Amino acid sequence: MKKMEKIGRYFKLMGVFAKYSLMSALEYRINFVTGVTVEMGWMIIKLLYVAIIYKAGTSIGILTPDHILLFVGTYVLMTGVYMLYFGNFVSLPGMVQQGEMDLYIVKPVSLQFLVTMRRIDFAYLLPNLAVGMAMIVAGWHLAGLPAGVVPIAGFLFYLACGCLLTYSLFLLPYILSFWIISVGGIMDISNALWDFNNMPSMIYGKWFRRIGTYILPIFVITNFPGLFLMGELSLWDCVWGAAAPVLFFVLSRALWKVSLKKYSSASS
Amino acid sequence: MSSYRCVFLMGVEQALEYRVSFFLSMLSAVFPIIIQTTMWNYLYGHSDAAAIFGYRQGEILLYTLLATIVSQLVGTGFEGEMNSDIKMGGLNKYLIRPVSYKGYRFFRFLGQKVPRVMVAAPVMAVIIGLAFWQGMPVSIGKVLVFLISLGLALLLNFSCFYCIGLLGFWLTDVDKLFGTISIVLTVVSGGVFPLDIFGGVVETLVNLLPFGYTVQFPVNIINGRFGWGRIGAGIAFQIGWIFFFVCLGNVMWRHGVKRYAAVGG
Repeated sequence: MKKMEKIGRYFKLMGVFAKYSLMSALEYRINFVTGVTVEMGWMIIKLLYVAIIYKAGTSIGILTPDHILLFVGTYVLMTGVYMLYFGNFVSLPGMVQQGEMDLYIVKPVSLQFLVTMRRIDFAYLLPNLAVGMAMIVAGWHLAGLPAGVVPIAGFLFYLACGCLLTYSLFLLPYILSFWIISVGGIMDISNALWDFNNMPSMIYGKWFRRIGTYILPIFVITNFPGLFLMGELSLWDCVWGAAAPVLFFVLSRALWKVSLKKYSSASS
Repeated sequence: MSSYRCVFLMGVEQALEYRVSFFLSMLSAVFPIIIQTTMWNYLYGHSDAAAIFGYRQGEILLYTLLATIVSQLVGTGFEGEMNSDIKMGGLNKYLIRPVSYKGYRFFRFLGQKVPRVMVAAPVMAVIIGLAFWQGMPVSIGKVLVFLISLGLALLLNFSCFYCIGLLGFWLTDVDKLFGTISIVLTVVSGGVFPLDIFGGVVETLVNLLPFGYTVQFPVNIINGRFGWGRIGAGIAFQIGWIFFFVCLGNVMWRHGVKRYAAVGG
């Protein structure tokens, strides 16, 4: 019962963070609009990949261009969700170096939650959410995929798993900032890894796919919801798709706790 | 001239300041190449892609490899610093000294490119050598013209982004806008995919507008897609657009400086 109350408290806090972020976005409207335009710029690149697939009119394995539209749509949507709190990840190395975490460390809530979720960027979510959902719905309809309760619930379940996995997996390189000074290059590489989801995993070779699914499970994030919908997830993959987010969340939590011991507060 | 030499050397030093970060950033550019190469290999292996896109498989693969490098070589990034100079009053020190702000920016930009050129040149040489070995129509003449057009592309991109940086005189809070412009121009310059694969109006626009002449045009010279006539016309377009942006930059500077409030100091 106490645990549930604690979880409820974090959801409430999340709502407060979202409210203040939205108020800030509405106050600095030009900043908000330019944020949307930046994200739309990146989206053009993602859409170019889909345009090329449609122009070629080729299937990738069992995936027709319509299926690929759904897969890339999922990638666009998940990018929006990741970008919601991405700014907090980026500012983490600076906070560690400048000792800015002093202020947060004394608060009676999880430091990891506070530091990684305190700012929510709606400007980056908005275009990705709108375009991603449109692509998913269009791909779903054009590919003639089932639209019953079970497929929709399963799709949403693996989307939620993907959200947790994105947070846990992509936080890992930023936690390294507790140990090393310049993480700029590592951040560039982790961002580039995210872009591998620009295309469905089936386009890559067998070993590449296995590494990206079971060792560094970036492909689980955007491929599993679509594969579940198509009935192409094996029982083992169904289990792995649900277990990997929990596993990596525990890993990121453990690494955070170990790394925090390296934090030396600011001199004042 | 010696002051510009110092600015040039400062640019080199600045680029070499964070070496590990610099090399990891260069390495991260390899990932999009892997994604695109995999995609093109798949499409060419499973469809009549050569007829659909108008590029042979070797040409598109060479394009993917070289476009990423050329994009990195001609890429700017100083427009944010220019905006900061205009907004925070940093421009003052250039106005009262006998140096041209454009000259300062240009030589610093060139200096920052030196480490990238040192990494990119051998990689490009290997790629072009492999293309020749694979039987692509690469000749010494084409390589020379490619290098000339690459130099012109560098000048064109600098002149274009110098004008974009000067927008700071008229607009407030343009940092994110620069981000958008930079991404859109990367796409329309052919830095991600060659845009002429879409044919029709897109191809015509790419041929007429300046942006394709910063990445797509130089790469397609070495690709062997262009005959000498098309190369000559393209270089004329490059020179014409450089002239246009230099004139535009001068006009913008003259009008912008009159609006400059010289805050701070």
